[in-house]
Amino acid sequence: MQRNLVGRLSRAGFGALCAVLFAFAGQAHAAAPAECSALQAKYPQFKGKTLTNAINPHTPGYEALDPNDPSKYIGFDIDLGELIAQCLGFTMAYKPVTFAALLTTLQSGQADIVISDIYATEERAKAADFITYSKVFDGVLVAKGNPKKITGINTSMCGTTAAENTGYVEVPLIQALAPQCKAAGKPEATVQLYDNNANCIQAILAGRADTYINDVNTVDQAVKAYPDKLEKATAVTLPYFVGIGVPKDKPDFRDAVMAALVAIQKSGAQSGLLKKWSLGVENLATPQLVVAK
Amino acid sequence: MDLFLHYLGLPYLLDGIRFTIAVTLLGLAGGLVLGLVLAAMQLSRIGPLAAIARGYTVIFRGTPLILQLVFAYDALPHIGIKLSAIGAAGLALAANEAPFIAEIFRSGVLGVDRGQTLAGQALGMTPSVLMRRIIAPQALRSMIPALGNETVSALKNSSLASVISVGELTLRSTQLASSTFDFFSIFFASGLLYLCLTGAIAAIQLMIERALDLDRTSTRGGFWGRRRSAPVPTPAGPTDLPPVFVPAPVTPSDRARRYDALSRNSTAVQINGVHKHYGEQPVLNGFDLNIRSGEVVALLGPSGSGKSTLLRCINHLEQWEQGEIRVGGRRLGFRDDGRRMNPRELAKERASLGVAMVFQQFNLFGHLTARENIALPLVWVHGATLADANRRADALLERVGLAHRADALPRHLSGGQQQRVAIARALAPNPRVLLLDEPTSALDPELVGEVLEVIRRLALDDGLTMIISTHQLRFADEVADRVVFLSGGTVVEDGSAHQVLTQPHHPLTARFLNVMGAGSTLETVH
Repeated sequence: MQRNLVGRLSRAGFGALCAVLFAFAGQAHAAAPAECSALQAKYPQFKGKTLTNAINPHTPGYEALDPNDPSKYIGFDIDLGELIAQCLGFTMAYKPVTFAALLTTLQSGQADIVISDIYATEERAKAADFITYSKVFDGVLVAKGNPKKITGINTSMCGTTAAENTGYVEVPLIQALAPQCKAAGKPEATVQLYDNNANCIQAILAGRADTYINDVNTVDQAVKAYPDKLEKATAVTLPYFVGIGVPKDKPDFRDAVMAALVAIQKSGAQSGLLKKWSLGVENLATPQLVVAK
Repeated sequence: MDLFLHYLGLPYLLDGIRFTIAVTLLGLAGGLVLGLVLAAMQLSRIGPLAAIARGYTVIFRGTPLILQLVFAYDALPHIGIKLSAIGAAGLALAANEAPFIAEIFRSGVLGVDRGQTLAGQALGMTPSVLMRRIIAPQALRSMIPALGNETVSALKNSSLASVISVGELTLRSTQLASSTFDFFSIFFASGLLYLCLTGAIAAIQLMIERALDLDRTSTRGGFWGRRRSAPVPTPAGPTDLPPVFVPAPVTPSDRARRYDALSRNSTAVQINGVHKHYGEQPVLNGFDLNIRSGEVVALLGPSGSGKSTLLRCINHLEQWEQGEIRVGGRRLGFRDDGRRMNPRELAKERASLGVAMVFQQFNLFGHLTARENIALPLVWVHGATLADANRRADALLERVGLAHRADALPRHLSGGQQQRVAIARALAPNPRVLLLDEPTSALDPELVGEVLEVIRRLALDDGLTMIISTHQLRFADEVADRVVFLSGGTVVEDGSAHQVLTQPHHPLTARFLNVMGAGSTLETVH
């Protein structure tokens, strides 16, 4: 119901009405901020182009198929990408790949940009340049009642099994618990690797894994889908930002995207999107570059 | 259930089938082409080609398809080859299927009876005619089940293309499951869609198998547009024997006159000092023999004495190390400069010199009817029109008493009938020399007579030059002008047939004839 309302409103929004509408439900196709025409003049090489966004569309709220029209992708990241494309005057195409393949796809030139809830770590910055746009809050998904009493990425996880996506930053954090577990005389935590979000959730539902630690909003979505079987044990803060990945050899594109993102944040459009997707405006982070040192 | 049905009919999922089929078809088509090349390389006599093909097979059969997909999609762009997702998936699947399909091709080709290849070579077929007309049609029939299997496997393997963003059924299912959390209804629906696709492949496979079935009775004509007669049980009665046969009166004085007359004829086959070894074992040891036009020569000798090898050397189905063989004055298989001919040139030379061969195991082409076995080589090798060739085939079938079996496949003929068809096939191009390699040894005793009868008439009526290796002493006595006794790869005794058979000079000949019971089967005429 709410989705239909959003849809109708999104088609109605223009000009001065925008701010009002943002306060209501957010806006996917807001008019571009004023700075955008200047950016298009400064970076004419992207105007009229079709650029490809590599995504791992298994994260409802960020990027997933529209259940009502599976030919489309929807989510916060999708809307933000569309705003950036609109601002710089290009059209966005999408290429769905596994999470672990996001950056290889970018490196091979099969994609031009990655906006897919990927945390901008120094490790990953070796493969791509990142422009951060959001803070990271993780949630700990467990079976209803939290039978293993997991309280975060800490020694409470010793001896338990965590389901994670291949390539997720949580994987090394969980593995790094090993010495602490050993010191406490407990067995290490085991990590099961899957290739998408849905498989991780199924692992808990099937009793194969005890927890799945991922972005807090993804965890909330899972709890919403299976309220009788799953719950969020706790939230943890990770020292990362979510970033837009761009090729390392295209500094002009990186600069253009960064400038567009700054303009979009300044116009309030990003906050509007966070509200629209119920992600919490506290997620917003000022754009910063994360590049390999 | 409602959800399952909803997803089963969801256009988004159904649309994914298009991509699944596209990737499968690309993979299969590419795999077939590449597989054909690999199989040809492995079957070729050229060492480096075979080695390259084997190297390819080791790599692409030995690594997971998923790695090959990622390689084609993400690594190739680094060397400037940027394929679309479907293109990369098709390429990787084709590269992966090729070695498997090549093995199917190879086993299909190797599965075709080697004797048929020899028979085709003896008829003067070039390697390409042999492959297209004889080996491929029969190999194809045996390959269909395995190719059906491979198609199903390729279809299922196409689901791995989901890792490189091809919007096929599996990718769409997993994405949909992530966004709706309807995990099981979606996967059951997509599982059923896959089952429909693989079921369709199985149905197509069965249809093709039916269409290619040589035994199928059809009034509409088979897959190749030809009508086949229904298999008829082989009649074993007297109607099956050659219609009329009056033995030519042969008296000792006739024989002597004929023997004299022949000795004045020109030389048809000349064998000088031929040496051949199988490994360490000498088979022909400085072999010399001259055969005159119109002469019928029976080669006798114990097993392993070199009879079959000699016949195969005469039409160059085998190589030898030393010595010279001339047929009609020409060195069959050698160019004017003395170098060996390639297989294609050799085939043409065999056809033009006219050396025909009849084999112990008949070696009829299994997929062709009796008439086609005789007629089609005339079309393929000698460029006859089909109508002329069929007329010739029918006349020859009439002559060997098999006009009523013209439309039968070899497998529906008795051994004796098959050998008579084989003789008719050998005679079709009017050869100047006919080589018969133990033509009755593979036959049941009651079928030997009908074949010998046919050969006897050829000798007496046609004046054809014939070299027959045989153990039928009585037949040799009646039909042959000369008997040549071989042992240890050389001629031990050579003379007029009756004389050698009844009054052998050499103790080896005498012992052999004694063991074969010559005394009881041959009447001694002085």
